[in-house]
Amino acid sequence: MTSAVEFQAVSRHFGATKAVDAVDLTIAEGAFFAMLGPSGSGKTTCLRLISGFEKPTSGQIRIFGEDVSAVPPHLRHVNTVFQDYALFPHMNVRDNVAYGLMVKGMARTPRYAKAEDMLALVHLDGYGDRKPAQLSGGQRQRVALARALVNEPRVLLLDEPLGALDLKLREAMQDELKSLQKRLGITFVFVTHDQSEALSMADSLAVFNNGRIAQIGTPTDIYAHPKTRFVADFVGSSNVLPPALTQSLGGPTKWSSLRPEALHPAPFGPITGTVTALRYLGAGHRVTVTTQGQDIAAHLPSGTATPQVGSQMTLTFDPAALHVMDEA
Amino acid sequence: MTAPAIIPPRGLADRLTTLFWRHPRLLLSLLIAPPLLWLGVVYLGSLAALLLQSFYSIDEFSGLIVHEFTLKTYGELLRPSNADVILRTLGMAIAVTIASAFIAFPIAYFAARYAKGRWKAAFYLGIMLPLWSSYLVKVYAWKLILAKEGILTWATEATHTSWLLNAALSLPGVGGNSLSTSYIGTFLTFTYVWLPFMILPMQASLERVPNSMLEAAADLGATARQTFRTVVLPLAMPGIVAGSIFTFSLTLGDYIIPQIIGTSASFIGMAVYQLQGTAGNIPLAAAFAVVPIVIMLIYLSLAKRAGAFDAL
Repeated sequence: MTSAVEFQAVSRHFGATKAVDAVDLTIAEGAFFAMLGPSGSGKTTCLRLISGFEKPTSGQIRIFGEDVSAVPPHLRHVNTVFQDYALFPHMNVRDNVAYGLMVKGMARTPRYAKAEDMLALVHLDGYGDRKPAQLSGGQRQRVALARALVNEPRVLLLDEPLGALDLKLREAMQDELKSLQKRLGITFVFVTHDQSEALSMADSLAVFNNGRIAQIGTPTDIYAHPKTRFVADFVGSSNVLPPALTQSLGGPTKWSSLRPEALHPAPFGPITGTVTALRYLGAGHRVTVTTQGQDIAAHLPSGTATPQVGSQMTLTFDPAALHVMDEA
Repeated sequence: MTAPAIIPPRGLADRLTTLFWRHPRLLLSLLIAPPLLWLGVVYLGSLAALLLQSFYSIDEFSGLIVHEFTLKTYGELLRPSNADVILRTLGMAIAVTIASAFIAFPIAYFAARYAKGRWKAAFYLGIMLPLWSSYLVKVYAWKLILAKEGILTWATEATHTSWLLNAALSLPGVGGNSLSTSYIGTFLTFTYVWLPFMILPMQASLERVPNSMLEAAADLGATARQTFRTVVLPLAMPGIVAGSIFTFSLTLGDYIIPQIIGTSASFIGMAVYQLQGTAGNIPLAAAFAVVPIVIMLIYLSLAKRAGAFDAL
């Protein structure tokens, strides 16, 4: 099976800034692939390299095996859902959705019929006559999705598509995008800075940092076995322990990570320290225990007794949960 | 001791602020009353007086104004010599507007999409600088440029392109003895003088088109040409219409440029100037002055019907 998107040592430099630096990447056909990273890490530039709005400084990009270095955006079988949706304000919803077919020269009747199908797909039947300005943020997002899907792209790119939505709507759209992707079987490439979004939606993900891919793998793999301190910290805000502390906890003299939910209060345990912060999260508490000058966060499920700030607390963990990282 | 929850007013300013805060409309009406009075009385009032004058007529023997309602003066506008003036002015205004739009668009597009920092400052300076110098100086400068002994003739001779100039001058209707005494000269000067008024609103409207909108069009398969026609142009249309209102109405009303540059043929502005000055025919001058207003109203309603303001 050919891969949908393939990067071979792709770099994109803006002057001295290395937005994307020697990235190798393979996205399998039919995957729901997430690019995760803080802002400025190069994930959006990677997306724009796929769509063709950025040209690589060096390296090669292949889409379904074909080198696209000489192919402009409008000739790529790739469509994008833009972060600000970029709906055309002077057209109604139907014309927005049918735009891709219109520029290909499809006649009005079949074009509108297909636009209506797409609107039904995103549960916006009957909204065709409205202008984008008359829609809510969630509805605009769906129109942008329908507009990108009408061309039947082989790869759909989504640039932080849920960033502007409120929590409830975001969760509903996450499920919907996921089921839509399953139904259509199209490769989705999804850019986000929200690690929980990436973990819950993607089949595989790449974690970006400073223009490079820090780690690539399945969500469980990345969550349980972060390769670097950055990944451990960024994905799921893990406790990152310096070599000395790792050693005192029974590990080798290397950096390690320990998930907050792997730590439990106990009468005896390897970690004893002062409670310096307590935060209520709804589904439990997050307690920060300071020991040997190091803050360690632990997750206390609701029902557990909550300690007082300033009191002493002892924590224990399953030794298997201590993940030792080879890279610093 | 804790501070009181409410700070006592410290004088007239606080009391006034409180009053305006409780009655926001009061402040608004105070702010808007003077300009509204100016607009209503001085501006619209004189326009109404003008309209009223145009319904009077002049007694052909005594030369006195007959203060009776009549459409006779408007009928006079249709006389061939007067209708000529109107059509000539209208044709010139249309030509100047179209030429300005074509010249202004690339400049405005560059300024809105590509110019940053210093380049943007240079753009604004370049557009505005000509507006700071006297209008008359610019017109006379153009007379010198376009004159038979002027720099343009000299330049065409030096580059062996005189035949081009001569071909333009031999065009029937718009040509003439030299550029400064032909319609082409009038047209060039008008286009030069009004161009900034087309560029600035166009640039403002293009600046409001986000880059992602153009990328979205390309992403969906539109060629550069299709993107221009279906996205850029409709979104820039309010700016183009605003600019064309300036170039169109300024050309319709101007009486100095056609007097200095071009044939001796009359334009609406010149006709108004002569009728109310030397001829003392205020009613006909008023009727002439109403013509640009009517033309602009027709133009705007056509533009609205064509959807030029849909993107507003």
